[in-house]
Amino acid sequence: MRANQLVKRTLLYIAVAIFMIVCLAPFVWVLVGSFHSSSEILTGNVSLIPDNPTIANYIPLFASELGIKNFYRYILNSFIVGLGTALLSSIISSLGAYGLSRFDFPGKDVLARFMLFIYVFPTVLVAVPVHEMMARMHMVDSLIGIILIHTALAAPFATWLLRSFFDSIPKVIEESASVDGASRLQSMFYIVLPLAAPGVVTAGVYALVSSWGEYLFVSILVSSDANKTLPLGIGMYTADQYIEWGQLLGGTVLTFLPLFLLFMPLSKYFIKGFMEGAIK
Amino acid sequence: MSKEYRGLIYLAPVMLLIGLFFIYPAISIIRMSFFETRYGIEFTFAGLGNYFQIFRDGVVGQSAINSLIWTGLGLFLQLSIPLGTAILLDQKFYGNTFARSAMLIPWITPSVIVAILGRWMLEPSLGIFNEVLVNLGLISESINFLGNSSIALPTLIGMQTWQFIPFGTLLILSALQTIPRNLYDSMKVDGAGSFQLFRYLIFPRIGPMIGFMGFLAFVWNFNVFDKIWLTTQGGPGNATTTLPLLVYKRAFKTFRLGQSSALASIMVVALVAFGVFYFKFLWQPVERD
Repeated sequence: MRANQLVKRTLLYIAVAIFMIVCLAPFVWVLVGSFHSSSEILTGNVSLIPDNPTIANYIPLFASELGIKNFYRYILNSFIVGLGTALLSSIISSLGAYGLSRFDFPGKDVLARFMLFIYVFPTVLVAVPVHEMMARMHMVDSLIGIILIHTALAAPFATWLLRSFFDSIPKVIEESASVDGASRLQSMFYIVLPLAAPGVVTAGVYALVSSWGEYLFVSILVSSDANKTLPLGIGMYTADQYIEWGQLLGGTVLTFLPLFLLFMPLSKYFIKGFMEGAIK
Repeated sequence: MSKEYRGLIYLAPVMLLIGLFFIYPAISIIRMSFFETRYGIEFTFAGLGNYFQIFRDGVVGQSAINSLIWTGLGLFLQLSIPLGTAILLDQKFYGNTFARSAMLIPWITPSVIVAILGRWMLEPSLGIFNEVLVNLGLISESINFLGNSSIALPTLIGMQTWQFIPFGTLLILSALQTIPRNLYDSMKVDGAGSFQLFRYLIFPRIGPMIGFMGFLAFVWNFNVFDKIWLTTQGGPGNATTTLPLLVYKRAFKTFRLGQSSALASIMVVALVAFGVFYFKFLWQPVERD
């Protein structure tokens, strides 16, 4: 029996290790690869510990005359758009989630599931009319326009995610506030939101993450180089016949690393909100 | 107005966004599908002309088949693998919290990064995949994963599945956690093995969630555009052109807006119908204690 247990535990840890390697190895590999020289990358001589670690791939990204022209600009734009989307989407989804959580109108569960359906809805199908509409509102090739559309993409899922955070805050707390004369909106802002702060931050970071990686709408709405975000910037780079792999790997690392650093500290709240929402 | 309906006021902003960026465009794409466009701007009424054209078009047929393979094979992998990984993460082991967080990384990775990772690691002459496979003696010469028209689509399905696993795993895991621990123990005391546990305890509990995940995976797979576009642009030839790619190519590359809209309209109507059908007839909530 003891031996049997030991075998089982060992197999469990092996399975977990394989799963983690499958999930993480590609990122480790790119990170390692980005510190190799171009010639090593081009001959396939990348090893887990670089013989001569170099940051040569990162330098041209910021020296505009050498490599990708506006890389620092892309990073800046991604931050502006991502933070703008996070802020706007947090406000809108907090209101929506409060509505779903605190009121009991017919069809609210259908509405919550509809939010999740919107999350998986094919955006490419509506790309043309959205482009036309943005053109009419004079929001083509503008960061504000991108923030607006990214908010529309992120807010429904964020609303769905936040709802379970609000649900876990007892209604009694609010009721006592309303006895003291607080209005509904006041009690939402001063009582529920602070208690649901981890959820709100998580929903905001989710919005930032989704905006950071969004490609389709940026590609059809942005035309000037100065307004490009990271995915479009490095996406253009891969379209070349001759790919400068070294710089591309450096750019790749700079695109995913900030995202992971922001998301990982909040991942446990994200998981909690997601799992509670999923079984509603 | 009942007091409870005031909740809808709070939902107004998000519904406005959905209306503006999803519902209105979906209606407008259906309207556009009845018009012929030339040079992208002039509209002439074409009736069902665009629909007749796309049904006669061989590329549309091939894309539909590709989409079928893409969603079908993808769905099979995306239902089975998360089931395994979720049961794995439901066990008690050292580092479980870390594993759950780390697992999410592929999901939050931007498509363009997934595309670059794939293109680099699968490159025939300098990619790690071919190097490992050759060194292990599994293949004698490099495979051009993304350049070979019969391997490219399955390869992309693999990449898509890799990115879907965290989402699916979390969904299944959330259902697994509604099963009280003592049920496992009492079944084990009664002499139930792993298979019996799965068949009589786990599966009935998570069945509805698997259905829900399948529904989301189906719609989501259908959605995939940027990953394929940034990896193969639908090539080689049209080997990885799925319907969303064709909608995009017709609209933004060859400027056949009418045809693109007709194709998109069919997909919008089919997806919405499928969504309504699912939630009306198939959806079941997960049991909870």
